[in-house]
Amino acid sequence: MSDAMKNTAIVKSGLKKRYLKEKIFKSAGIVSIAIAFMFLLVLLTDVITKAIPAFTQTQLTLTVTLDAEDLELNQESSIEDIMAADFRQPIREALRARFDGVTKRNDKKQLYSLVSIGAEYQLRDLVLADPALIGQSITVDFIADDDVDAVIKNAIDRSLPESDRRVKDLKLSWIESMEASGEISTAFNWLFFSAGDSREPELAGIKGAILGSFYTLLVTLALSFPVAVAAAIYLEEFAPKNRFIDFIEININNLAAVPSIVFGLLGLAVFINFFSMPRSAPLIGGIVLSLMTLPTIIIASRSAIKAVPPSLREAALGLGASKMQTVFHHVLPAALPGILTGTIIGMAQALGETAPLLMIGMVAFIVDIPQSIGDPSTVLPIQVFLWADAPERGFLEKTSAAILVLLVFLISMNAIAIKLRKKFEKKW
Amino acid sequence: MVISMMNERVAELNLGIDMTQEIKQNGPDDSGILDVTYSETVGEYQCKDAKFSTRDVNVYYANNQAIFDVNLDVGRNEVIALIGPSGCGKSTFLRCLNRMNDTIDICRIDGQIHLDGQDIYAKKQDPVLLRARVGMVFQKPNPFPKSIYDNVAYGPRIHGLTKNKAELDDLVEDALIKAGLFDEVKDRLHGPGTGLSGGQQQRLCIARTIAVQPEVILMDEPASALDPIATAKIEELINELKENYTIVIVTHSMQQAARVSQRTAYFHMGRLIEVGDTNQIFTNPRHELTEKYITGRFG
Repeated sequence: MSDAMKNTAIVKSGLKKRYLKEKIFKSAGIVSIAIAFMFLLVLLTDVITKAIPAFTQTQLTLTVTLDAEDLELNQESSIEDIMAADFRQPIREALRARFDGVTKRNDKKQLYSLVSIGAEYQLRDLVLADPALIGQSITVDFIADDDVDAVIKNAIDRSLPESDRRVKDLKLSWIESMEASGEISTAFNWLFFSAGDSREPELAGIKGAILGSFYTLLVTLALSFPVAVAAAIYLEEFAPKNRFIDFIEININNLAAVPSIVFGLLGLAVFINFFSMPRSAPLIGGIVLSLMTLPTIIIASRSAIKAVPPSLREAALGLGASKMQTVFHHVLPAALPGILTGTIIGMAQALGETAPLLMIGMVAFIVDIPQSIGDPSTVLPIQVFLWADAPERGFLEKTSAAILVLLVFLISMNAIAIKLRKKFEKKW
Repeated sequence: MVISMMNERVAELNLGIDMTQEIKQNGPDDSGILDVTYSETVGEYQCKDAKFSTRDVNVYYANNQAIFDVNLDVGRNEVIALIGPSGCGKSTFLRCLNRMNDTIDICRIDGQIHLDGQDIYAKKQDPVLLRARVGMVFQKPNPFPKSIYDNVAYGPRIHGLTKNKAELDDLVEDALIKAGLFDEVKDRLHGPGTGLSGGQQQRLCIARTIAVQPEVILMDEPASALDPIATAKIEELINELKENYTIVIVTHSMQQAARVSQRTAYFHMGRLIEVGDTNQIFTNPRHELTEKYITGRFG
């Protein structure tokens, strides 16, 4: 047997083992992907199924009489008068008219709680929009109380014995009677996207948190992007290689690993206590989050700048471009896709951040929708945290819906990152 | 055996010449081909009308010396080829001529390099101005990821060489014509420069360099990444350019050196071994190492 033949035999005998190893590795990879995918699927299905009910709202159709004398209003009443008028009475009267024979004080209280306390404001807004309604009888779809909502959405089991049920028999009979006569309807829950937070689940909306997150991210982006890109350019292109710069580099990397709550404590101590800046404001939130985002963007930008082929720099320098021109005309445009991706990932991280904002008071219960970066507000992840903590059943679906909104924002931000990357990527 | 021979010769030479240095080997593998003693550059390194003149140039990368005491003049409007085996320092030397080595932190240069009698490493010499006068074409074509027009127009734009768009258009066209590329790209001046073939890209890079109207063009193996046809075009172009420019070209191809240059300098392990007329170097090398290299015994 020649050497060559012998070698062929040896190689051949080992082949099977090699292929087996490859197969095992491949299937291990597939299994890991499957596990990761399954977890994602479970998470998404859970969130989505729980969130869906939050997007519909139960309404009660009632005919209310806007008696001018009872309301102490007339067609010429000023806005202040309308604001001060008691719109609770017409609704209560309408309810009493619908279910006559309710006389006991407790029963009356239960009857009135069929509609949300938001119903009177609903009525007031209608009159504000059209004062001609005063003195007329109008049919309005009022927001139902969260208990009614829960019964209609089958979140409360009607077959349970009364003692175990949150909605008692009397109230349930009213609901069923209205349901049978078609006076209960469901509609898309616009309020969820147009209202701020509320103690009442049926009135609680996410707009305040969305705007709070928006303003916070705006501040974060405005502060961290220019600072981080400038730092990255300086460190990569201009900084001398010495111990001091090494020290700074190490510390930037360390900063990326600092627990985020520490940044919150820093914000509390420095910005609120020392500089007396407003509490709960997106301005402080943004500053704190930009401290946290800075290292992420710096590190991403540096590696993007590092990945720019040196030939591009040499080409520009060889033509007599100054260092500054080389960087701004060639290196930065070439590194932009990477820098933008890093920035958006950093911003997405900031969007999902909760802990540091707890420390600077953005966890407060805030009903008003913030109008600027100085107004007290909360952010999406904290809204999730607040609602998840609330005892009312109606907040359960709101929590999932808020998570869903947060996820939609995160996914769209990542999609933008990919899109920008594709757009600015140039091949050479 | 070899070492003892070498010692003998060193001893011999030490009697007469103090400057004698034995070539230090960087690796043990090279020892076989280096049992030749080097004393100084063979041939006439000076020129009557020198554009560049370098004296006692030493280049260090951190603690490694890459160039040892190089003295070399480059004549006005001549093409000089720098040849030598890989790692011999010819590219390093070339990059000293427009201070491209400044971008490498660990690189240190001493000695004198004069351009038209002025020290280019003087404190008051601006590297930006120097590079506008001494253009460079690199080994791998490196057009900017921009349009063909913008590639050529970039240099004139940053230096403010033209007053208006029409002048710039003329300058770009002129540079492309001189680089022999205009006819091939005139219909797609605003198409991407990176969409051209390798040879076209390299001619685009040459056009880009010419557009700044430098006095000297340095070329670092400009054809090594190209096929023979593209190479031939580049060589033809160099022959045309030498009417107006001083050209220093580093090349691995001895045929190329023979075809395009008037003078040739042979580098070996950081030292300039021999310099002379291209004809003489290739037909009648005076140094043993040059002879060994051009006859293909190593390289």
